[in-house]
Amino acid sequence: MDILFDKVSYIYQQNTPFAHKAIEDLSFHIPSGSFVAVIGHTGSGKSTLIQHLNGLVTPSEGEVRIGEYRLTKDEKPKNMKALRSKVGVVFQYPEHQLFEETVAKDIAFGPQNFGVSKEEIHRRIKRIAPMVGISEALLDRSPFDLSGGQMRRVAIAGVLAVKPEVLVLDEPTAGLDPRGRKEIMRMFYELHQREKLTTIMVTHSMEDAVTYADYVIMLNNGTIYMEGKPEAVFTKAEALKKVQLDVPEMIQFIHAFETKFGTSLPFKRQTIQQLAEQIQHRLKGAEYDE
Amino acid sequence: MNDSLIIGQYVPGSSIVHRLDPRTKITVIFFFVFIVFFANSLPSYTAITIFALTSMLATKISVRYIMKGLTPVWFLIVFTFLLHLIVTKEGSVWLNLFGWKIYSGGVIQGFAISMRFFLLILVTSLLTLTTTPIEITDAIEDMLQPLKKIRFPVHELALMMSISLRFIPTLMQETDKISKAQASRGVDFRTGPLKERIKAVVPLLVPLFVSAFKRAEELAMAMEARGYQGGEGRTKLRELKVEKRDILVYVVFAFVVGLLFFTRTY
Repeated sequence: MDILFDKVSYIYQQNTPFAHKAIEDLSFHIPSGSFVAVIGHTGSGKSTLIQHLNGLVTPSEGEVRIGEYRLTKDEKPKNMKALRSKVGVVFQYPEHQLFEETVAKDIAFGPQNFGVSKEEIHRRIKRIAPMVGISEALLDRSPFDLSGGQMRRVAIAGVLAVKPEVLVLDEPTAGLDPRGRKEIMRMFYELHQREKLTTIMVTHSMEDAVTYADYVIMLNNGTIYMEGKPEAVFTKAEALKKVQLDVPEMIQFIHAFETKFGTSLPFKRQTIQQLAEQIQHRLKGAEYDE
Repeated sequence: MNDSLIIGQYVPGSSIVHRLDPRTKITVIFFFVFIVFFANSLPSYTAITIFALTSMLATKISVRYIMKGLTPVWFLIVFTFLLHLIVTKEGSVWLNLFGWKIYSGGVIQGFAISMRFFLLILVTSLLTLTTTPIEITDAIEDMLQPLKKIRFPVHELALMMSISLRFIPTLMQETDKISKAQASRGVDFRTGPLKERIKAVVPLLVPLFVSAFKRAEELAMAMEARGYQGGEGRTKLRELKVEKRDILVYVVFAFVVGLLFFTRTY
């Protein structure tokens, strides 16, 4: 589904002494099927932004359009449930939302609310559980007996079981160990490609943004600071420094390599493997020249 | 979150009312609540009203905001007024509406009682508007000191109060977060039949309790790890001190009380 933000502002606790603008005059367009990373500091308005995507908040000004659904100050879609069944949100620390007696029941909770039949839910659980790395044996256990990482996977399965068309991820890998991070991010990426999802991911990890996103939106103080393709955005080291964001390690390395050897090694979102081969090739080439 | 209810909501500021010793505020408001019921004449009502309104203005919080916060109580105030208007049958008949007689006594009585009500709520809400919960707890701990003589655990009580106060916003945030997460999973908290809505609370309450218990455990562990030991010999970060402005407030208030009893006797 296409997502469009048109001059959206959101003010918390409007008309009180506590009123403050979380996002201001935000406009962007996310075409269907793209993978967008939203980057910014705590308090830059990322969480507020994603809450607009399934109508948890409605804009104080401006308009949000998600497919056929329109959200403005005075207009909410009549069928909010339908919108929420199409936009799946994995919140930060989603394991806090678990409550059912068994893992299977918790995964089934979302689809049940959206009126999916029992047999279909059963089929979906069978398919999704192994995808997120939950073994059959865990399905009948209480979610509160699981480890933190496993609870996270159960919660993610609960969102995926709704079969959303838009997947919103709010720092899905925060607090996981490096291996868990990689596994989960890979799973999301595969799903994104296979199901042609529109994915919006809030992240602090520049590495994840560079690896998976095809478009990056950087927020600062509730407005867009920079946006564009990752290879364009992340190579602007100075601009990133200004808002205290890190340059991804790989780009740092490329920069260092370029200055050290006085050559140009353009960043085209290579994988580490590809970059290594590229460098190997160059070095060999240099040997032969001599 | 909750946008309209302000009773109990602290509004940061640096007005004289904010800077008063919390003990002063509690004492004055405590006695104010009593003397409001002693007012019985126009001059006495004027005196306490002026005192209350001056205090309100001195907080430098927008009057519109304070009044809006009292919205839930306005209904009660108007209701009280109307009740007295209808029930009281004293004085001369002012109006005769289709056989319903409105007496002058009813109007005066209704006005007086609802005014009392309004002043009570206004002044007590000024306390929470200008004093942080922590200050109130400190003041209460200090004012309850004499109870220590009869082995009443004053410090523990104050600690319990401040911990629970400290965690109210945290729990509110948590509630907000979890209800949003469950709403995204298709829970409808706002519409639908009552039975369904009550059922919708379960996915909210279970995670809330789980995290509250976890938090309590973590807090206890952190306190023990830092060697916490309450009561005897523990010094305070925030010392309460009576300043000139506190004495000024006491004097003004004593004057108002004096005036009130003067008008009552003469």
